[in-house]
Amino acid sequence: MFQRWLKQRIPAASQVRLNHRRIFIMPTRAGMGLLILLAIMLIGAINYQNSLVYAVVFTLGSLFWVGLHHTYRNLAGLELHAGGSPPVFCGEDARFGLTLVSERREHQAIVLSWSDSLPQRTDVAAGLSTNLTLYHPAEQRGWMRPARLRVETRYPLGWFVAWSLVDLDWRVLIYPKPIRLPLPAMRGHGEGEGDQFLVEGVDDFQGLREYQPGDSRRRLDWRAWSRGQGLHSKVFAEPQHDSRWLTLSQAPGLNLDQQLGCLAGWILQLEQQRQPYGLELPGVRIQPATGESHRDVCLRALALYGVAE
Amino acid sequence: MNTAHALIPRNALVWLLTAQVVVLVPHLPRLPLWVAGVWIGCALWRVQIQRMRWHYPGLLMQIVALAAVTLGVFVAQGTLIGLDAAVMLLLLLFMLKLLEMRKPRDALVVIYLGFFIVATAFLFNQGIPLAVYQCFSLLILVAALVGLQQTQSRNDPARAMRTAGVMLLQAVPLMLVLFMLFPRLGPLWAVNAPGGQARTGLAESMAPGDVADLARSGELAFRAAFDGALPAQATLYWRALTLTQFDGHSWSRSAVGGGAAANWEPRGEPLRYQIITGASHQPWVFSLRGADSDDERLLLNSDFMLQARRPLSQGIAYRATSRPDSLLQAGGLDPLQRRMFLQLPEGFDPRSRTFAAELRRQYPRDADLIQALLRYFNREPFHYTLRPPTLGRHSIDEFLFDTRRGFCGHYAGAMTFLLRAAGIPSRVVAGYQGGEVNPRGNYVLVHQFDAHAWVEAWLPGRGWVPFDPTFQVAPERIEDGLQSALQGEGSFLEDSPLSAVRYRNIGWINSARLFWDDVNYQWQLRVLGYQSDRQMDFFRRWLGTADWQRIGLISLGALLLCMVPVAWWILRPARRPTGFRQRAWQKLNRRLARLQLQARTGEGPRAWQARLVEALPRQQEEISAFMDTYVELTYASPTGSDASHASRLLAKRLAALLRVLPRRRPPRPTSLASLPGRPQER
Repeated sequence: MFQRWLKQRIPAASQVRLNHRRIFIMPTRAGMGLLILLAIMLIGAINYQNSLVYAVVFTLGSLFWVGLHHTYRNLAGLELHAGGSPPVFCGEDARFGLTLVSERREHQAIVLSWSDSLPQRTDVAAGLSTNLTLYHPAEQRGWMRPARLRVETRYPLGWFVAWSLVDLDWRVLIYPKPIRLPLPAMRGHGEGEGDQFLVEGVDDFQGLREYQPGDSRRRLDWRAWSRGQGLHSKVFAEPQHDSRWLTLSQAPGLNLDQQLGCLAGWILQLEQQRQPYGLELPGVRIQPATGESHRDVCLRALALYGVAE
Repeated sequence: MNTAHALIPRNALVWLLTAQVVVLVPHLPRLPLWVAGVWIGCALWRVQIQRMRWHYPGLLMQIVALAAVTLGVFVAQGTLIGLDAAVMLLLLLFMLKLLEMRKPRDALVVIYLGFFIVATAFLFNQGIPLAVYQCFSLLILVAALVGLQQTQSRNDPARAMRTAGVMLLQAVPLMLVLFMLFPRLGPLWAVNAPGGQARTGLAESMAPGDVADLARSGELAFRAAFDGALPAQATLYWRALTLTQFDGHSWSRSAVGGGAAANWEPRGEPLRYQIITGASHQPWVFSLRGADSDDERLLLNSDFMLQARRPLSQGIAYRATSRPDSLLQAGGLDPLQRRMFLQLPEGFDPRSRTFAAELRRQYPRDADLIQALLRYFNREPFHYTLRPPTLGRHSIDEFLFDTRRGFCGHYAGAMTFLLRAAGIPSRVVAGYQGGEVNPRGNYVLVHQFDAHAWVEAWLPGRGWVPFDPTFQVAPERIEDGLQSALQGEGSFLEDSPLSAVRYRNIGWINSARLFWDDVNYQWQLRVLGYQSDRQMDFFRRWLGTADWQRIGLISLGALLLCMVPVAWWILRPARRPTGFRQRAWQKLNRRLARLQLQARTGEGPRAWQARLVEALPRQQEEISAFMDTYVELTYASPTGSDASHASRLLAKRLAALLRVLPRRRPPRPTSLASLPGRPQER
C-alpha cells in the first residue's frame, strides 16, 4: 500500500530532484527529548515567575521551529543522478555510482543508505557535485534492482530528520557465483587433445594495432601511451588450437545455480589462461573466442539464463 | 540509526568541553572552589580516555564519585533539599557525565543539561550582564549541537558557530512573540526560593550605629517612579518598618503587633507611584506615609505600612497610592498599644529620664514638649557624623549629654526614648529618606546610604505624627542627601572607592551611571517584571482587550505574522554564486561529474586541467583554452574592458568545451581486477 503510494509520489527515474513532494520530515528522538526538557523548564519558569527562564524556553522553542526549516532546506533542491553499476558476481557487493548535485545551496551531512547496508555520509558543496559509490549485497543471479535508497539528513541540530526514498532506476547484472573446479576433460567438437591448450602464445609478439574496445588491458602498450602515441594493443601470435565448448551438461552441481557457477568458474580460468572457449546453453550459443568482452558476454548469458529479462 | 554505534569524535569532545566551561562559569562564584577542581579533574580524565591512556571509570568508581559529590553538596549547603543544593548537585552530575559519555547520545545529554543549567543560573541572578552572557552560552551550546551533526571529515567550528548564530537570530522574532503573548500563570505550587546571600539592607532591629553601617553601602535599595511630578526630596520619607521595643541598647520590632491596619482617615492629595525593588528575602516593602495598594501580594499592616505577604524571594514591582496628610489611628490607642509604645527598660539612662521629667514639667502639652525637644537638638552642639564614637551601657545618656555626635539612628532613638520617658507614645521608624532623581527616566533611585530613621509620636486627635530630629541637626541631609551632609567629613562611601555613586559629581561618570541605571530600571520593569499583571496591562494597552478569546485570536495572527516571513527567509532560493567566473567553473564541474570526473578538494585549475586532459585526451584543446582564460581571469584580475572581454571569452570557451564533452562516460568493459571475489591471484 505504502509502496504503491510511494511509487506514485516518487516514480523511478535515473535522476531525482528532491522537493517538497518528495521530502518527509519528522522530529527525531533527540527533538522529542528537547520538547520534554522545555516542558520541564517551562514549569520552572512558571513556578519561579522568572522572565529570563521563560526567555530561554521560548528561545529554544523557536529554535526548534527554525531547525525544522533548516533541516528541510538541507535536503531540498538536492539532485541525485544514478551512475553506472558494473556487473558483479553473486555474493559480492554490487557497486552503484551516484552523483549528488547541488545547484545552489550547500547540503551537509547527507546520509545515504539502504535499509540493510551501512550508511554513507557526505557533504555537497554549493553549486558543485559529489560522486559516491554505494554498496549493496548481490544475492540473486540475474538483474538486481536495489530497493529504494533512503536519503536523509539531521543537519543542523539533529532535532528533525528529513528523508526521501528515491528509486534511481538502478539495475545491476549479477553473475553466478563462480565455483572453482578443475576444467572438464576435453570433449570438444574438434579432435585435438587438451595438451595443445597448454602452449602459451603470449611471448610471440607480433606487433601493435590500435586499441579497440574489448581489448584486454593487460595487453595495452602503456609505454607507448605514456609517450603520447595513443592507445595500442599488443598482438601476440597464438598457436591455432581447437576451442573448448562449455555446456551445462558438463557442469556438476545440485541445482542450476551451482551448475552455472561452475561454468562461470571455468570461464574465468580459461580466460586467465587465454584459451578460447565457447558457451552453449539451451537457446544460447556463443562462438569460441577470448578477451574480456567475450568473457563478459558469456558471463552475462550465464547470469540471465532462465531469468526473465 | 546513523551514529548510534559511533564513538564521540575528538572535535565533538572539544565542543562539549568548551560548552561546559561556558555554562559553568556563571555558577562558579556562588560555589566552593573545589567544584572547579572537580570539573578540571573530570575533563582531564575524559581527555585521557580519548587518548586511550585511561579507562572509563568502573561501576564502583561511579558509585563512589556519586556519593562523594553528594556528600560534598551536603557539607557545602548543609542540606540536600532545596534549590541551592539541587542546582549544585546538578552541576556536579553535569561534570561527572563527562566520564560516562561514550556515545553521541550521551553527548546530547550533556548539551541538554547545559541548556537546563543556563536556565537555572537565572534563578540566582537576573542582571543584564548575565543575560547577555547566557546568550553567548546558548550560542556555544547550539554550535556544539551543529558540530555534532557535521560530517566529521569536514568539521569546521567557525561554520558551526555561524550556523548557530544565524539560527538563533532567526529564532528571535518568534521568541519575542511567545514571550509577550504566552499567558503568565501564577506559580503551580509553592517553591522554595534560592537562598539569598546576606544582602545589605534594613534589619529587624537597630542599634544606634547600624544605620551608619548601612549608609556606607552604595547599593541600590529600590526605585520609585511617580505618575505626576516628583515631590520635593525633603518630603520623601520611605517607611519600611517601625521599631517599638527598646532593650537599653537597640530598637527592634515588637513581638506583638501585626494584624491589619486599624482606623485611618485618608486626607490630602494622593501621590501615585510604582516601586521596583530586588529580592530582599524580607517581607517589608517601601511606601510613603498614608499608603494603600490594591496589589494582592501586599497587605497594609497595623503600623500603616505596606508589607508583602511572603518574604521577597525575587524582585517585585508594585503600585501604591499615598496620601501623606492622612490621619493615622487618630481615634486613639488601646491600653495594650499604649503600654507598648511607652515601654522603656528599667535601669538604663537615668540622666535622660530626669531630663524628660524636666521637660514634662515645663511643657504640659505634648506638642509643645516635642517642639521644645526639637529646638534642643537644634540649639545644642550636636554633630551629624558617619563616624560616631562608641557608646557604653547608658548609650542614650552618653550620646545626649557627652559625645553629641551621631547618625540618624542615634537621634531617632534618643528622641523616642525622651518622648516615652515624658509619657508620649512614640516609636522609631526605619526606612529611607530622599533619593536621587534620574532625569532620564523620571524616577527616584534610593540607595542603601539613603537609609534613615526618624520618630513617630502619637498625639491625641492627630494620631501618629512624624518628627525628624536629624533635620534639626543636619537639615542638608534631608534637603540634599547624605553626600552634602558629609561634605566636610569626607566619609561618604569611603569604603567603596570604586562605587560609581561616589563620583557622581564628575559629569560624565554620573551621566553614564544614570544611563546604566535607567537601562537596568527598564529591564527590571519591562522584562523581569513582565508577569501576569504587567501582561494584562500590556494586552489592554496594545490589544485593547482583556478577553482571552480575542487575545488568543490576535496571538495566533501575531504568530503567523512572525513565522511566515522567517520561514520564507530560511527557505528562499539561494543566490547563485556571485561571480560569472565561479558560475562557469561550477557549471563545468557539474557536467564533468556526470563523466565521473571530479576536482579534488583544494585542487588548483592547472592540476585539474592536467588530470582532465589525461582522462579526455580528445578534448585537450578546448580544456586548455578554457583553463587558460579561467586562470587569467582568476589570477591576473583584469579590470575594466579587459575584464568584460575575458569574461566573454570564458563564456565562449566554456560553451565550446561543453559542446565537445561526451554526453556520458564511455562504457568500459567490466574490470574484474579489483573485485575481491576474483578467483585467481594476480
